[in-house]
Amino acid sequence: MKPRVGTQLEKVLLAGHFALTLEIGPPQSPNPEPLRKKAALLKGLGDGYNVTDNQTAVVRMSSIAASKIILDMGCEPVMQMVCRDRNRIAMQSDLLGASALGLRNVLALSGDHQKASAAGKLKGHPGAKNVYDIDSMQLIATIKGLRDEARQLGGDAIAEPAPFFIGAAWTPLGTPRNYRVLRLAKKIAAGADFVQTQAVYDVPAFAAQVAKARDMGLTDKAAILAGIIVPRSAGMLSYMDRQVPGVEVPAELIARMKQAKDTQAEGIKVTLELIQAVKEIPGVKGVHLQAIEAEELLPEIVAAAGLSPRPQV
Amino acid sequence: MIVAEWKPIPELLASLKGHKNILLVGCATCVAECAAGGEREVLTLAPVLKMGLKEQGQDVNIITKTLERQCEPEFVEELAEIAPQVDAIMSLSCGIGMQLVAERFIDLPLYPGVNTTSLAIREQPGLWTARCAACGDCMLGETFGLCPVARCAKSLMNGPCGGTRKDGKCEVDPDTECIWRLIVERAEARGRLEDLAKVRPAKDWSNSGHGGPKRMLREDLRS
Amino acid sequence: MAAAKPDPNFQPEIVVLYCRQALDAEERPPEGARQALGLGVRLVLLPCSSKVEAYQMLKIVEQGADGVLLLACPEKACRFLTGSLKAERRVQRARQLLGLVNMGPERVALRRVSGLSLKDILALAGQMASEVKALGPNPMKGDNLQ
Repeated sequence: MKPRVGTQLEKVLLAGHFALTLEIGPPQSPNPEPLRKKAALLKGLGDGYNVTDNQTAVVRMSSIAASKIILDMGCEPVMQMVCRDRNRIAMQSDLLGASALGLRNVLALSGDHQKASAAGKLKGHPGAKNVYDIDSMQLIATIKGLRDEARQLGGDAIAEPAPFFIGAAWTPLGTPRNYRVLRLAKKIAAGADFVQTQAVYDVPAFAAQVAKARDMGLTDKAAILAGIIVPRSAGMLSYMDRQVPGVEVPAELIARMKQAKDTQAEGIKVTLELIQAVKEIPGVKGVHLQAIEAEELLPEIVAAAGLSPRPQV
Repeated sequence: MIVAEWKPIPELLASLKGHKNILLVGCATCVAECAAGGEREVLTLAPVLKMGLKEQGQDVNIITKTLERQCEPEFVEELAEIAPQVDAIMSLSCGIGMQLVAERFIDLPLYPGVNTTSLAIREQPGLWTARCAACGDCMLGETFGLCPVARCAKSLMNGPCGGTRKDGKCEVDPDTECIWRLIVERAEARGRLEDLAKVRPAKDWSNSGHGGPKRMLREDLRS
Repeated sequence: MAAAKPDPNFQPEIVVLYCRQALDAEERPPEGARQALGLGVRLVLLPCSSKVEAYQMLKIVEQGADGVLLLACPEKACRFLTGSLKAERRVQRARQLLGLVNMGPERVALRRVSGLSLKDILALAGQMASEVKALGPNPMKGDNLQ
């Protein structure tokens, strides 16, 4: 099968390799140096690098600009785009602009609500007016329209198609769980080519949802990349279990982290086990790996997981 | 009903600075139902304003009046006798009624005593929750009678975001239901979950305020 | 506020609103203004403590009373079941609003009582007076209080 867009991520997936995406969050700064530093650290480690779009509703360097900066350094970005801040006019305009800059992977998201800014750690902009003109599903369909029909959402043509490898997010263990596979089906029907999931700690529960997706034929239509977040402490895991919607952490795992003498080493060990476990789930085509505020651990983890070097396709 | 709530008292006191004779006017319709601007609230706020202004060294006389409906000219006309005695009006009606009063008494400054917030229902005694966003493109028929435009923090049209809490509440507010969770439950109860598998296309917002101020015309009713 | 200039001769004026059901069966309902314990007390009989609303208590303060004391039955003993509970919430509301305009939330209070005699009522009014005395005379005081 020929790649549709030709991004590295797409080609790796098409060739049947187990894909690896990482994350590079833009700084709260006009200075590109912190971004370049992260990109330099992670360069070559992954097939794609998610560049977040004002995540947790905190103002950061734009996803589009940051994506271009890391692209120029040889890191292929997965530009995230949320529906919170722009209407359909602005988003399509930015998509054309992103395409002109050579950005090809885009991940469509609803976006964190501005009222929950930065989980209370920063002021954020809780008084902001949100947009939500279209939702993530409709954004996926819009991007597909720009790519496959060279047509805007409103119906007007664009001079030539905008090639995008389209990503979507999935919270397989979210409430109401019965609907989550159906929602994934909708995203894929709308046009998602790949899917990155919320962090997985409860592998059997995740596998059960993937199995349902597989039964519906979804895993043949889009590539699922399991989200893995390196556990840093028992406290972090229990916080995620309690406070982060859609994240389930088995009690044994929290206890294991609690008992560990060397928390960091144990966290890495758990990560490696999780990667191995999701790799064995039929229909899982890769992982989206994050080490929050500990990116320096990633080279070691990626190597230990046998995911290095990345395939050249 | 249209739901409003008192503005913060310091804001009200600041807006009345320099006035001597004030008409505090309520409305016995929606804002009475939501305990913001009916007769009882007018009578409650009047002494509070008087004491608050006095404490800041300002003596005022407050005349209170509650109209049956502040959004109908014939009721607003009842204020014509009082208006000459005052130098300011504070209204506790929704933004609609306030504007009619402002239009009728164009020489008097009008101050809003409330913020109009939503189209809501009294869910429990003392609790009002939003139900409608006046979006101009009703989709209740597709969402089992539950409105995601008004009741989802992100007005999502294709199912719940990843922020539904384990207990089914919204990530933005632990006391608010994730409306999509309720929609899904209703669909399941009716054996119609498949209805929610269809991708709903982008909404046409032009029949709401986004299309410019709404103007609805019915020729057969014109005089 | 008036609290800045303490007046040793200041005698708070207290309005006592009391529930008929809280009165001792033998007691004849007292009514009206009296002088007692060096303070002005005005007694108002209510069929139930829930018959007074927040705005009425606020209005009494706005018209110059130094304190408003609402005497209600114990929560479980309300003859109208939820009357004294409603009364408590209204007192809370009135206190909250008084606080917002720096009038001293203490100017409105609720006490749960039963088997009251006139003497008890006056004693409670005296307690109320000593509680509001520190606030000084109600700055709204004029010729309003009758």
